[in-house]
Amino acid sequence: MSIMELNGGSCVAMVGKGCVAIACDLRLGNQALTIACNHEKVFAATERTYYGLPGLASDTITVRDKLRQRVNLYAMKEERTIEPETFAHLVSSTLYERRFGPYFIEPVIAGINVKDEPFIAAMDLIGCLNFAKDFVVSGTASEKLFGMAESLWEPDLEAEDLFETISQTLLNAVDRDAYSGWGAVVWVIEKDKVTKRWLKARMD
Amino acid sequence: MSRRYDSRTTIFSPEGRLYQVEYALESISHAGTVVGILAPGPSATPFVSAPEVSDAMAVDSEGAAASSSTPAAGSSTPAQSAAAKKKEEEAKAEREKKYPGPQRAGIVLAAEKKVTSKLLEKEKGSSEKLFLVNGNVISGVAGYNADANSLVSYARNAAQSHLSTYNEDMPVEQLVQKVCDLKQGYTQFGGLRPFGVSFLFAGHDPHHAFQLYASDPSGNYSGWKATCIGANNSTAQSLLRQDYRDDIGLDESLGLALKVLSKTMDSTTLDSEKLELSTLTIDEAGRPVAHIFKPAEIDALLEKEGLKKAPEETSA
Repeated sequence: MSIMELNGGSCVAMVGKGCVAIACDLRLGNQALTIACNHEKVFAATERTYYGLPGLASDTITVRDKLRQRVNLYAMKEERTIEPETFAHLVSSTLYERRFGPYFIEPVIAGINVKDEPFIAAMDLIGCLNFAKDFVVSGTASEKLFGMAESLWEPDLEAEDLFETISQTLLNAVDRDAYSGWGAVVWVIEKDKVTKRWLKARMD
Repeated sequence: MSRRYDSRTTIFSPEGRLYQVEYALESISHAGTVVGILAPGPSATPFVSAPEVSDAMAVDSEGAAASSSTPAAGSSTPAQSAAAKKKEEEAKAEREKKYPGPQRAGIVLAAEKKVTSKLLEKEKGSSEKLFLVNGNVISGVAGYNADANSLVSYARNAAQSHLSTYNEDMPVEQLVQKVCDLKQGYTQFGGLRPFGVSFLFAGHDPHHAFQLYASDPSGNYSGWKATCIGANNSTAQSLLRQDYRDDIGLDESLGLALKVLSKTMDSTTLDSEKLELSTLTIDEAGRPVAHIFKPAEIDALLEKEGLKKAPEETSA
């Protein structure tokens, strides 16, 4: 059993037309034993940049706090909010600092930049970046998420369609994974609006 | 050898003084003025005591508070003459006319920019003398800007590592203390000069609500209702003493800060080129909101306060 699979949990992010979506499940487990089903793994970096940190739950919280600190310092020193592209590199270098004793998380990032263009990225636990143009997945259900996203995602989805696509992708993927599921949260980020929705899921 | 006690920052002179620290203080008294005014608003509770910390263990706190309610203390002293009372009422009516609506609570920091030149590029950022230190703290700087930048950066890092450790904004006094500890170190440990910077820190935390602190190069700090650092600070202090009231509102404080600066600055015109302004207030949810004014906002306010001097065509 890998430490990456100890607590379970998954995240996915997708690009739409002038919008992005990011979603996570709500499970916190101890191997096969479910401890809680209110463990959100997606957080806001800025008003239009969000990130998910599936993996070891304690590292999820530690890295969330560390990133908040760095984003706040960036905002004060640069006197502007961080762009999603820059934030991706910030997360990456934060992880690579612990190259030989890493945080056991695989972040996904979704945001809309200053030019109102959608942006998503994902990386491994030591911060190797993957800038995708369609979707990124991470967590214990990542293989299933890949499969679902490959078949459901299409280019230039509007916000509502993107919400449906990412929800179906996540729900159907986590149903095939014993370590993920037990509810889900979906964020849809548009250029002037952010929507958070809770999804009902199979609770078994 | 007469300068024997000058060169070392950490050695007392025979009169028991630390010359380098006093020189640093002297250099600050030539720096641009920074004024800070704390506006507790009409419900001036912050000075009475810290608000009760919510505590689930407290038994029947509401009942206890009700039973200990004090009798209304509003009866005026008989010595107060009717004329003085009338004058006071007139002043109050005038204030209410000038600043209508409910008085907001908050803190004002206003700073004078000393270095101005036609050729000088404008600051790329919002300001050079007022800084956001944390979500709940703003600071104003008088003295060496280079030293200030390093201290502000230190304070920001300290505040953020507190947030990261405790998941709570750093209490204001704790942050001031942290910066002052560093400053004090340079008056005791050898080989280095002290920081040539005085600060005003304006902050808000749940423990003591709005707070205003001043600190100097020796590492001393003190809390104020209204204070001033930098050039002409004694003039400014006496102006503040005259016009400050315990129920002053934020809008009136802005006016007062500008008035004080207009009297202490040696330049004849007052505009956004020579001024910086910021406020710290709280929103409906009780979260602190820091605002550093844009040049256009400063000019608009000066206009409203009637302090904007029309550019004189004839002046050389």
